[in-house]
Parts: sequence; structure tokens; C-alpha cells
Amino acid sequence: MRHPFKKLYLILMLIFLYAPIATLIVLSFNSSKSRAKWGGFTMDWYSQLFQDSAVMNALYTTLVIALLSALIATILGTAASIGIEGMKKRFRTFVMGITNIPMLNADIVTGISLMLLFIALRFTMGFATILLAHITFNIPFVILSVMPKLKQTNRSTFEAALDLGASPFYAFRRVVFPDILPGVVSGFLLAFTMSLDDFIITHFTKGPGIDTLSTKIYAEVRKGINPEMYALSTLLFLTVLILLFLINMSPESKTATPSSIAAQIASRTPTGEVSFSQKTESRRGSRFVMRRVLPAAIIVAIAVGGIFYSSQSGSTSDNQVIVYNWGEYMDPDVITQFEEETGIHVVYEEFETNEIMYPKIKSQSIAYDVVCPSDYMIQRMIENDLLAPLDYDNIPNISNIDSTYLEESRQFDPSLSYSVPYCWGTVGILYNKTMVSDPVDSWSILWNDKYKNNILMQDSVRDAMGITLKYLGYSLNTTDVSQLEEARDLLIRQKPLVQAYVIDQVRDKMIGNEAALGVIYSGEAIFCQEENPNLEYVIPKEGSNIWIDSWVIPKNAQHKANAEAFINFLCRGDIALKNFEYITYSTPNKAAREMIDDPLIRDSDVAFPDPSELVNCETYRYLGDENDALYNEMWREVKSD
Amino acid sequence: MRRPSQLKNKKLLAGPYLFWAVAFVIIPLIMIFYYGFTDNNGAFTLTNLAGIASADNLKALGLSLVLSLISTAVCLILAYPLAMILIDLNIGRSGFLVVVFVLPMWMNFLLRTMAWQTLLEKNGVINTFLSLFGLEPLALINTPGAIVLGMVYNFLPFMILPIYNILCKMDQDVINAARDLGASPRQTFTKIIWPLSLPGVISGITMVFIPALTTFVISDLLGGSKILLIGNIIEQSFTQANDWHVGSGLSLVLMIFIIFSMMFMQKYDKNGEGGVF
Repeated sequence: MRHPFKKLYLILMLIFLYAPIATLIVLSFNSSKSRAKWGGFTMDWYSQLFQDSAVMNALYTTLVIALLSALIATILGTAASIGIEGMKKRFRTFVMGITNIPMLNADIVTGISLMLLFIALRFTMGFATILLAHITFNIPFVILSVMPKLKQTNRSTFEAALDLGASPFYAFRRVVFPDILPGVVSGFLLAFTMSLDDFIITHFTKGPGIDTLSTKIYAEVRKGINPEMYALSTLLFLTVLILLFLINMSPESKTATPSSIAAQIASRTPTGEVSFSQKTESRRGSRFVMRRVLPAAIIVAIAVGGIFYSSQSGSTSDNQVIVYNWGEYMDPDVITQFEEETGIHVVYEEFETNEIMYPKIKSQSIAYDVVCPSDYMIQRMIENDLLAPLDYDNIPNISNIDSTYLEESRQFDPSLSYSVPYCWGTVGILYNKTMVSDPVDSWSILWNDKYKNNILMQDSVRDAMGITLKYLGYSLNTTDVSQLEEARDLLIRQKPLVQAYVIDQVRDKMIGNEAALGVIYSGEAIFCQEENPNLEYVIPKEGSNIWIDSWVIPKNAQHKANAEAFINFLCRGDIALKNFEYITYSTPNKAAREMIDDPLIRDSDVAFPDPSELVNCETYRYLGDENDALYNEMWREVKSD
Repeated sequence: MRRPSQLKNKKLLAGPYLFWAVAFVIIPLIMIFYYGFTDNNGAFTLTNLAGIASADNLKALGLSLVLSLISTAVCLILAYPLAMILIDLNIGRSGFLVVVFVLPMWMNFLLRTMAWQTLLEKNGVINTFLSLFGLEPLALINTPGAIVLGMVYNFLPFMILPIYNILCKMDQDVINAARDLGASPRQTFTKIIWPLSLPGVISGITMVFIPALTTFVISDLLGGSKILLIGNIIEQSFTQANDWHVGSGLSLVLMIFIIFSMMFMQKYDKNGEGGVF
């Protein structure tokens, strides 16, 4: 290849690799919260970032876990390498085989296997379990970078030292250790990097109230990323970039630290082991950076973070309440206000779907105090004896809840002794007036070829099956196999028309004019209409799902009184109003509704539809494990078709 | 005289690690085996493992296989010339360029993948750009192509690095000798450079293929959840369908599948450098 082509190729590859990064940096200056819209230049996210304790805590947790797990893995791994080196060949091969398991296994298998272990041992998921998991997948990296160095060391020097009267420990420290040090250091750095970047294993081993940057971002992906995240990653990226420049500018260090990390990353897999022998002679400059500057920088960062962190989470006392709520389903100010007024510390964890929440409650590996499931899931939890009856004497504010919704609640909580309604709404069609010419009043429009690739469907079993069953004129709680099969076939027929199956992303996509029609929850519809006035919400005439999300207390809750205080607080008119304004889902709280200033919203058809519109609507019922499996089966057939 | 006891002491150093490995690697695997081979009532069954043979799952596995093989091939085709160019241009430049190609890995991979959504969407950056030239917008997002792109993008550094490393270490004298003996550039490549770089290539293939085969995040974000890969099915059986037995059974199958394909790969690592099997 001639020179210009080489350069051109290089530049094209750089564009490919950096286009998304540039996008993220641009988004960090976007004043609109939606990814799909450019709202003008702003620096706000950067200033808000440092005040956002949730993000800063996640950053700190990420760094602490990375540092601790790398450190412990380095100690265990280096010792192990020396031990393995002294083993007989057959046993050594066997041990190295075990060492390779975490590297050859898919992350998802490693993560799940550890989760199964922790749950079986009744470990409380949290910081400790993440740390254990990270150490586990880090040790092999250390062993694989130390072993080749050990092989290169000359045994005779060690023996010579012994012959000259050195104790084995002294001989090791003065003769062997300096030789293997580059391997140890690169093992440490490699482990640190891998821990920083891990998402899948952390996802399966984390518990409530603790997030690393990866898990925090993943939770936000569904509901729209908080732009502070873009700002944070821009800052992190620039830091690393500047660090790299500085290191590479110094003439002494020809083999820079980061490229050595890079070299080590390259050697992740067993076959890459060879590449470690590459740099036997390490230069003084890079050693200085590796041994002194980098660790010092990391320790300073963590120490600063530590001070910040401890100032944030001052109370470690047991006076707390562990809340498990839907993503983006409560105004953060409400939590702060609750903490200030009661002195109870709130540990807040979010879930994406009822189906993700349920197994966690059932396994009881985490003792949540107060959870916010939907109607059918509450019924299931009651039937499986997972809930504690509420003491309504501690929840006097329940008088603020409109009796209509309490009566509706009897469908899933017949004795009204387990649940307090929090939000309710309907499932309907959000459409873009400029893109849809036909009248929208029936589900049938979702099967209209005209809107091919312009339709967004809900990516959840019950909603997708439910609206199809309604369209067919059946109950959305049917267990009749032939009706379900009919719905399945209809959904398969619809699939070529569907642009994507989404949960909360429907919001961003509809705002950004990405699709003409989307199946959406009424609460999201209000938010979308505020951002994009061309959008209109309809409950189709065939009827739909009306849902209620209510607060319940699991049987194994450790802080029941605090949980009841929390529920009572949420039922206060002013608090319910605050939450309504933040999350825009309809509130069953009549005191709050009366306080809404804007008459357009107080009497909005979307937020508070006329009861006549709801006559064909049903709540979901829990249908039993077998029927659940049947629904899942049908849905999977649709998805994999 | 001292050596035997010495050897024994040394071995003890591996003790803590072995304990750790048993507790957090072996036992968790046994848990997966347990769940994989039992049903809801704890009775022995093979139905979970056989679950892979259902039409849906086979299809997902097949699709995962196709997409990850394509991604691996694309990565190799992109990375090999790149590594060679980097070596060519790199003299005296202290590997800085390599770092530039690895740097994106320090940005969170979820965010990077999200950013591709913004680029590929119907009204995304690329289509806006095309429309400036009066070109028809392309359907980019939510296609298998988008998933392949996401895989290539995320795993490319894992292919560049091992190849770059092995090319770096290659003895220049061997190449010069080949040239002196009259080999054409093409012959030098096919007879000398390529065979010598094979361990790096295999390392790269392993590191791209395994994560690509098992990912569930990339297919979720760039495939619009319309395209189910085997990773998605496993993840959903744990987090949505609440069926850990089926999930474990499928994980086992996936694990066995990966181990076999790795064994197959190792055969081509003729020098046997660092092979496990």
C-alpha cells in the first residue's frame, strides 16, 4: 500500500471509532433532556453533575470497587502464580484450566452463576457481592500476566542467593520480585481497567441502593439518559486523554503506561499469553509513572471521593427504609424532603418491569421495605404470601385517595389490606398528527400497512398481548389457548410493520418524530405532548388496559414502621402533587388533583379521562405460573419469528 | 537438600487462590449445573438442556452465530491492515497511535452504543447528512446490520491489539531474509508474516467472537429488541420470564458450545503458544 492510502485508511478508522464519542460530547452540551432534539447550547449539565450525589456516588463506587478488587486480585494472583509455578506439571495444567474458566465463559454465565451462589448462601446483595465478583474475574488477568514473567526469571539467581546465605523470603524479595514486577503492575492495571468497564457481571450481582456507572447508565438507557452522564463521560474521557498526552510528551518514557495497559488488555485470553514477553526491559521513565504517579493519582482521586462520599451518606444508622420503585417514578426532591422531615434515611433502588422485580422479592435475598408493583403483580404476591398486611393507623393520609381507585384496587387486593394506590393510567396510542392522516380510534391502525416501519410497540408480554386480545374483542386476561394463538399470529403479522419494540424509549422516539404511532402509557403521553405539540393520545374504542401501581410492604421487610411512614408521606396532597408534576402519571390523590393550578391539566382527558372512556378497559389479573409461561412462550415466538 | 521442602512451601502460596477459585468459580458453576438439570420441583430433568432444540432458541443461536462470525470476520479484515499500518507509521512514535485506537474503550460501552442510536436513527445524524445531499434516507437502525456494526465497533480494539502486539515482536530479520532470498511482498506476507502472526489473530478472534456471541445489550439497543440473540433469551429467562432452570440450561449449552469452538480454534495455534487445551 502506498503512503496516502495508509493515511486515508487510518483517518477513516479514526472517524469510525470517534464518531460516537464526538456525538456524546455534543450531547453533553445539549440543553434538551431528550436525545432526539437539539435544544441549544448549555453548560448546565456540567454544573449539575457535581451536585448530583447519585452520579457522584456511582462514580465513587466504581472507582473503589475497581481499586480494591484490582489490589486484592493482584495479591492473591501473584501469590498463586508463584505457587502454581512450583507445582508438578499435571496439576499445574489443571489449575491453569480452572483459571481460564472465567475468561472463556461468557460474562452473562459468570454473572448468573455468581448470582445463584449469593442467593443460595442468602448473601445480601450489595457492595460486598460486587467486590467478590470483581475479584473473581480479575484474578485470572493477574495470573496470566505474572506467570510469563515468572517463567522468564532465571532460577539459578534465586538459588545463588540462597547459597550465599539469603533467607528464602529475602532472596525472593530482592531477586525474584524485581524481575516479575512489570507483570504484577500490568496485571493490576489490567484488572483495574476490566473492573471499571464491567457491566454484565455487576448487573447480576448488585443489590439495592448501590450502582456503578455502568449499571446506572443501563438503568437510564430505558428511560432516557440523564445528560449529566454525557458530561461525566466527557470529563473522564478528557482526563484520560490529557493524561496520555502528558505521559507521551515526556521524552524519557518511550513505552508509555497506557500502551502497556493496552498491550495487557490484548492478552486477556489465554492465547494472548505470549504477548507479555514483549517488554522485558522497561524504561525508568515509564516505571516512574507506573509506580509512583499513577497510583498516587488514583489514591488522591479515591481519597477525595471518599471525603465527598462520607459527607453525602452521613447516616449509616439502621434508621432507614429501602424503597424499590419503577425507574424515574418519583421526584428526587420528595425523597430529600422525607429524609429531612423524618430523619429516616432512604435507600432507593429502581426496576424496569414487574417481571424483573418479582424474582428479587421472591428470592428474599434483598429485604426491601416498600415496593411499587402493578395490580396483577400485587395479586400474585398476595397469593404467594409475599406481602405483609398494612397497618392503616400508620397511614392516615389514605383518606386523600379517591375512593374510586380504592374500589378498583379490590380487583387485585380484595380485602384492601395490602396496597395503597400511587399512580394509575391507561395504555393507548400516541400518534403524530403530521404523519397520520387516518382517524385514530381503533387498535386496527397498528396493523395498517401504510405505517410500515413507523409503529412502536411495547416490549412487554402483557401489554403487547393485551392490546392484541382487546383488538380481537377478547379479554386481556384470557387463558383460552386458541384466543392466545390468534393474538400471537396477529402480532407475528404485525412484526414487519413494527419499527422497534421498546419500553420507555418510545418517549424519545415519538418526540424526535422517529415514528408515527406508538403504544404508550398515558403518563408518558402527557410528557411527550409537552415536548412535541403534534402528538395526540387516544384510548382505542375496543378498550384497553387500565392499571394501578400501588405501594406494598414485603413480608421480610426490616423497617415496616418506616415503610408505612413513607407511604403515608407519599399520600400527602402536596407531595402527591409534586410527584404528579414530576412524573406526569395520573394521581389517584384527590387532594393533589384539586391543587393543580393549570385547569387544562386538572381536567385533561389524558391524565383524568372521563369514566365513560374506560368502560371497555380492564386491569390485568395474575393468571398463574402456567398461564404466565404460556403468555411468555407466545411472546417469544413473536419476538424470534 | 532444601529444595524439596522449598517447593512445598511455594505451592502453599497458591492455597488462598485455590480456595477462592473453588468458592467463586467451581461452586457457582455447579449451581448452574444444578439449576440446568432440575425442574421447578428439584427433580432431575434434561428438558432445560433440550430447550435449545426448540425452534425459537435454535434460531436465536443460529442468528447469534451468524452475526458474531460476520463481526469477527469484519474485525479481522479491518484490524489486520490497520495493525500493519500502525507498525509502519509508528517508528519512534512510542505506540501513541495504538493508544488512540484503544482510547474509546475508556468511554462507557453502553454510552458508546447509545451514541450509535443517535447516529443511525431515521432522523439521526447520518440520515440528516444524507438528506443535505438530496439522498434518500437509509433504514439503518433496528436491523441485523446495525447489530453487526455495534459488535464491530465495540470489539474492534480486542482484535487490533493482539495482532499489533504480535507484529511488533516479529523478528524483522526473518522478513528481511525472506526478501533477500527473493520473496515477493505477497509471498513474504503469505509465507512469513501471516503464519507467524497466527497466534495473535487467534487471540483476537477469541476475544471478539465470545463477547459477540453472548451479548444481549448490543442487540437490545441497536436491534430495537426486534432481533433476539441467544444472550437475550438467556437474560430474559432470568429477568423476565423468571425461569432460572431454563436459563441455566441454556447457559450450559452456550458454555459447552464456546469451549468446543475454542478447542477447535486452538488446533490452528500451531506453535501451541499459551494454549489451554
